[in-house]
Amino acid sequence: MQSKKLIKSIIIGMTIVGFAVHAGESNFGWVYGLDLQPKGKWEVEQRLQLTRGHATGTYDYWQGRSEVEYGLTDNIQLAGYLNTYSIQSAKNYTNPDACSESLSSCTGGYGVSGAFVEDPSYSSKGIDGISLEAIWRITNPLTSPVGVGVYFEPTFGRLKDAIETRLIVQSNFLDDRLQLVGNLVFEAEKLKFDEEPIEEIVLDFVGGLSYRVAPNWSLGFEYRFHNDYDGFSFASQTQRAHFIGPNIHYANKDFWVTMAMRTQIGGDCWAPGDAECSDGMVWDSHGRNEYMLKVGVPF
Amino acid sequence: MRNSLLPLTISLSLLGGVSPTVIAKTYMSAEEAKQVMFPGKYFSKVQFEISAEIRKQLKKISGIHHPLTNSQFWLAGDGSWFIVDEVVGKHEMITYGLGIDHFGNVKEVQILQYNESYGHQIRELSWRKQFIDKNSIHKIRLNEDIENISGATLSCKHVTDGIRRLMALHSLLLKKLKSHDTL
Repeated sequence: MQSKKLIKSIIIGMTIVGFAVHAGESNFGWVYGLDLQPKGKWEVEQRLQLTRGHATGTYDYWQGRSEVEYGLTDNIQLAGYLNTYSIQSAKNYTNPDACSESLSSCTGGYGVSGAFVEDPSYSSKGIDGISLEAIWRITNPLTSPVGVGVYFEPTFGRLKDAIETRLIVQSNFLDDRLQLVGNLVFEAEKLKFDEEPIEEIVLDFVGGLSYRVAPNWSLGFEYRFHNDYDGFSFASQTQRAHFIGPNIHYANKDFWVTMAMRTQIGGDCWAPGDAECSDGMVWDSHGRNEYMLKVGVPF
Repeated sequence: MRNSLLPLTISLSLLGGVSPTVIAKTYMSAEEAKQVMFPGKYFSKVQFEISAEIRKQLKKISGIHHPLTNSQFWLAGDGSWFIVDEVVGKHEMITYGLGIDHFGNVKEVQILQYNESYGHQIRELSWRKQFIDKNSIHKIRLNEDIENISGATLSCKHVTDGIRRLMALHSLLLKKLKSHDTL
């Protein structure tokens, strides 16, 4: 019990932020549900995400998120994140709009400045920044046919500043063992790693299902329909991509673990973002495959 | 008879209960719960068939999909029942004991096994006593005649649904059974 208190204190100190809000135990990798911390309860969560593989060469983007959640009320949850990153990129782009005509491949991707495009490789890692999060559960899927919640997350970082909002919808079936969850995601972001800041809007739908196949164990899958727009308007769409993959979740009274992966099944780009595509896929901050590991410990 | 035993039952429940802040998997055995609910009364463990038609009605009444296959039943000579049932918890099954007196009313509810991170408040007497004296004519529904505990909604809902199912089973089948009828 003492060690749990110590860990909680350390992580609270590390975040050095107030409290933001985020969904509690999560059966999904990227989809947010409406399972929140009860009033006055804490949870520490660690996420590790790997985005791997572009057109060729090497692209590994690791993102770590250390989080503390707190139930402000039974229907409002706050959380704070400390975000870290590690990027290794090497000759991963083949699009001639990204690479000069003399190069068959060049170095790029999310987190890589255009100044390094002709370099054989690029590597960077460190603390990205912080995020705050708040979620308000308007109706509870345990007691209503459809649970509805709204989510707000500002991020301040070296790679980007962003404001993300989500409309969360969840329905449970079969004694609440089957969860169907969908999120409509709107994010306004300013990318800061390039020579000039890039402003864009992300409009995504993520959704999935998770079924508790046995006590403690759930299996499911999730889907992402991703859209990027140039600037802070919907006038010019620059990216569209689809992702799908499985998830597995284990939970007991002391901790929970979720692992998920999703693979890109196709995407398109349009000007001014067409340099981010090749081979019918969108690269940028996306990969051929994306992996997620989450671990949560309630207190 | 029923009313005169109630204070005793509550007192024994308090003595037999465990602080809800204590986290342990098994709080009480079936035998202990039976003695707390019906001190000194003799019960026989019984088995019987539940027809497909009754199962269908129980599912419709309770909304529960998890089958009754792991439930255990004990019958006393005066028609009282003690039942151990399980319902789906957030991570594992919640096992509880239900006592039904010879009038067909809930005598008491005890949580026997609970192994979740949160929601241990369902073991508190203040929540469990809401079921006392209810029978199959009552709704026995969360947020209607059974109050929820914030932060323990899933556990409250599933245990309430489970008790509604058992009271419906008592109305449809158990009250008609005598010990010699059982298999």
